[in-house]
Amino acid sequence: MAGSGDLQLYRYPQSKSVDAVRWLHPLSAFDRFIATALYDTDDASSSVDIHSLNLNSDPENPNRSKPLLRPRSSWPSPSRISSLRTSEIPQKHVVAALSTFAGYVHFLFMDPIDVSVELELSTDEDQPLHNASVSIVDLQDGGHECLSVGEDGRVNLVSVVEGRLDTQLVHDNGGLVSYTAVKWGSQAEFATGGFGFGLQWWDQRKPGGLVSQLKGNWAQGNVTGIVHSIDIHPSRKHISVVGGSSGTVFAWDLRWQQQPILLSGVGVAGQSTFESEIWEIQYDIHAQSSSISSTSSTKILPVMFCSEDGILGVIEQGKPPIELLTEACAINSLDIDPQNPSDIICGLEWESIGILMRPKEAASVY
Amino acid sequence: MPGRPSEPESALIPLPTEVDVPLYHIRHGVKPPIFRVFISWSRGNVLQVACIRPLEDHLARGEANETSDDAGLGGKVVEVKLGASDPNISEAQRRRIIYDSIPPFVLLQSRRKAFLTMSRLSSSSSHPSTDWWQQVLEYSRSISELLGSSKISSKSVIEDPMIVLEPVDKPSGLKAAWQLMEIFYVDKNYFSWLPERLVDWLAEYDAILSETQMTVHSKLVKLQEKLVNLQVIENDPEYWEGLSSVLTVGWLDVAVKLLRLHGSYQLNQLDSRETENGLVETVAVLVSTMPRLRHDLPMGKLGQCFKTKPDFIKAWEKWRGQITKLDCSAFWVQCSHRPTREGLRNLLQIMLGNFNSISTACFHWMELFISHFLYIRPLTVVAPTYLVSCPKQGLGLLEILLSKQPVQNYPMILKNLEICQLNELYGISSCVKKIAGMHQWKHGRKGSGVYWLQEARDEARLNRIAQQLFECIGRSISDETFKQWEGLIELLGSDVGTAGGVGFLHRYRDFKRSLRQVRNGRPASAARQTVESLIQLMKSSYTPQRFWLPLLHDVVELLNWKDQPLLNVSETNFLLKKLQELSMAQLCPEFSETYLPPEALTEIRLALATNLSRAFLEE
Repeated sequence: MAGSGDLQLYRYPQSKSVDAVRWLHPLSAFDRFIATALYDTDDASSSVDIHSLNLNSDPENPNRSKPLLRPRSSWPSPSRISSLRTSEIPQKHVVAALSTFAGYVHFLFMDPIDVSVELELSTDEDQPLHNASVSIVDLQDGGHECLSVGEDGRVNLVSVVEGRLDTQLVHDNGGLVSYTAVKWGSQAEFATGGFGFGLQWWDQRKPGGLVSQLKGNWAQGNVTGIVHSIDIHPSRKHISVVGGSSGTVFAWDLRWQQQPILLSGVGVAGQSTFESEIWEIQYDIHAQSSSISSTSSTKILPVMFCSEDGILGVIEQGKPPIELLTEACAINSLDIDPQNPSDIICGLEWESIGILMRPKEAASVY
Repeated sequence: MPGRPSEPESALIPLPTEVDVPLYHIRHGVKPPIFRVFISWSRGNVLQVACIRPLEDHLARGEANETSDDAGLGGKVVEVKLGASDPNISEAQRRRIIYDSIPPFVLLQSRRKAFLTMSRLSSSSSHPSTDWWQQVLEYSRSISELLGSSKISSKSVIEDPMIVLEPVDKPSGLKAAWQLMEIFYVDKNYFSWLPERLVDWLAEYDAILSETQMTVHSKLVKLQEKLVNLQVIENDPEYWEGLSSVLTVGWLDVAVKLLRLHGSYQLNQLDSRETENGLVETVAVLVSTMPRLRHDLPMGKLGQCFKTKPDFIKAWEKWRGQITKLDCSAFWVQCSHRPTREGLRNLLQIMLGNFNSISTACFHWMELFISHFLYIRPLTVVAPTYLVSCPKQGLGLLEILLSKQPVQNYPMILKNLEICQLNELYGISSCVKKIAGMHQWKHGRKGSGVYWLQEARDEARLNRIAQQLFECIGRSISDETFKQWEGLIELLGSDVGTAGGVGFLHRYRDFKRSLRQVRNGRPASAARQTVESLIQLMKSSYTPQRFWLPLLHDVVELLNWKDQPLLNVSETNFLLKKLQELSMAQLCPEFSETYLPPEALTEIRLALATNLSRAFLEE
């Protein structure tokens, strides 16, 4: 157990690479579930493993008992998984969408009670959706539509239609611009990101789709890099927060398109900056719950990030970043439990799943 | 004697003084001057050195002096044996090894022949390789035996509790090396628990890892000497240091033995130090029940064996859980003896895989490697940590490892670059970026290709790429193409420095855009903007010469602009000068032809001349 204050970190070794982690939201009242994308380096096999997480608190020592993480089911993936997203069709299914190195997108539909895989759908097996690896997917709330982007410069929309997957090529630039991140903003809008910290805003209702873009290399003179993760808050869809190379976290406000707001990274004055890749970011809904109503719409809400140099922390505009975890190895992915925003699951480079529990009372850590 | 290093001024080949090279004295007995020295390899590690005197000198002297003593010889061939042999093996022993190794080798060869014949006869059914390696293993074992007896302790019936380190002969380096070869290349039995084999190997050969620097073994030897005289052992920091060191490299039996020497076990102390003793014993039990992924353990070694990975992982988690529980227990507060409290908790930290505790407790990179395997469970991703700690070949091996990593996946590239950055391997880092860049470019992912090449500041490749991009953009100037190229051109940025030859595309894009506006019937301002872009492009040293003609050809219609001349006199003169320069360059053999029609040059020249005359009139 590591961490400070009332933070509790539990590590669960997997003896396989943990490529992605996500919470699942079934109907079960007792157990919580998580989905992990695993890769076995020994025999080059991949799978999505579903685990249940049981917080059987020991009445004598409620703080010390380690939650039980038990494997429940496993779905073998034909190729290594590059990204994993989850959602649910209310009262019907828990859904996971995943993309692979081989260029395909798969959907898994799971039972809402015991979270066993009931149905599996894949994009056309004869024709990969992307040339080489899919960089990332993002699943629309409701679990019916998913976006996939790749270094091949394609943006695809994959939808579940009558028990099969329907794909639509939204955009293809033939590899002139590579995409490495995608995030839904609304039912019709989404953001993509790529090399040189370039960002694009799309609206499916507009011809061509592309609405505006943050010019690449805007951080000229400083450093440039690759966008790894984008998050958009449902209540502020005009702002995309972005995590990428060289410890960079910035916000792109569509109202001030060519002036991104740097939150962390080289060039932010008065803070010890992080220097390595920021692999994933998410709005920290736990820290926000107290502050969201009171802040103006221009202020950037607190953002959680995980990095190659093993830091999991929270960045808030105008404040020094808070490090919740410092691990000896990289933290490759993170997911905040939307139903219990104090709890975070993360994937550690040294083949472990980490579960970080913060005190339930919001903002007491800060 | 010439060449003797004690007389550096007369040395045939001067030796650098700061380098500590082994010296061999050659007794050739040839009188100076020595005219030539021939050196060649003889059998084994023997060098043949021939020292020759000048011919005429020899003749003259030979005639004058009839006596044929050594001094009068024309030269002599001497043999020099190189290499300091293992001090633990005498020459006679070495020869014995050579003789005795022949029968096993002959046996192996004959078996091999038999095997080949057999496999030829029944090629369809049997798999000869399945037990061939066992024959090789048998051979390896017999050779290994020749290289020195293994560490079989002569255990007396009653064990002396004070002896934690059994006095054994120093193992031979030769055998250590042979065993390593066996572990890695021959023994397939233990392939799945190869790291545990290395733990065993280290237990046997730690003593010879370093002659000069501290090892866990040498630390233990010192502690052993002290033990006999120490009264209150737990007050001595060296006791705790030694304990953590042996635990770190997995000598669990020694660690437990040392723990049981703790003063709280003494009968007269037991009452007053009950809690303390309980803690010591709990740690000793935890140490002795450590789960290990292996088939079995030799007699006297501690730990619980697990044959499969899942069983092992389960047991490991449970064991770690117990340690964590103990670490958080309230009993520590009741333990009043500070060194014991701190010492034991440090042992727990080692077992929990605390990197700092582990790295302080071991000395040699090999020990660090073993300890990581035991407590931190490393994989092929953590190789850099060890390779960097290995002082001689480590970095080199790391460089090779990094340059062989696949580049298809950008997160992997970034992880490798991070390792380069940490170890200051900037050359490899730029190499990885170049490889990634070319890989992406060749696979049609132009954007990321250009990005990586820009990151690597590979101007040569960017220049080559510029040619292809220019032609792609130049051929079609539709709305669609602009949208397509927009992202890539934005990525290139206007900072030509980083983009090399590709940088000018930025301006070219502006030029083409305004040109298109002109063609779509936009006003004169667009036309003026176009020629301004043209002048900028022509002035820029980053615009390759081969693009000049196509650029000028594009603006022919603007040079004949109806309303007014768009270029003034000096601008027109500048372009004419450029055209002249181009004509000169065309004479060079390396000049690359463009896809323009042959009359293009004439058209441009005419248009420029017309513009010049109009501009004169205007001014």
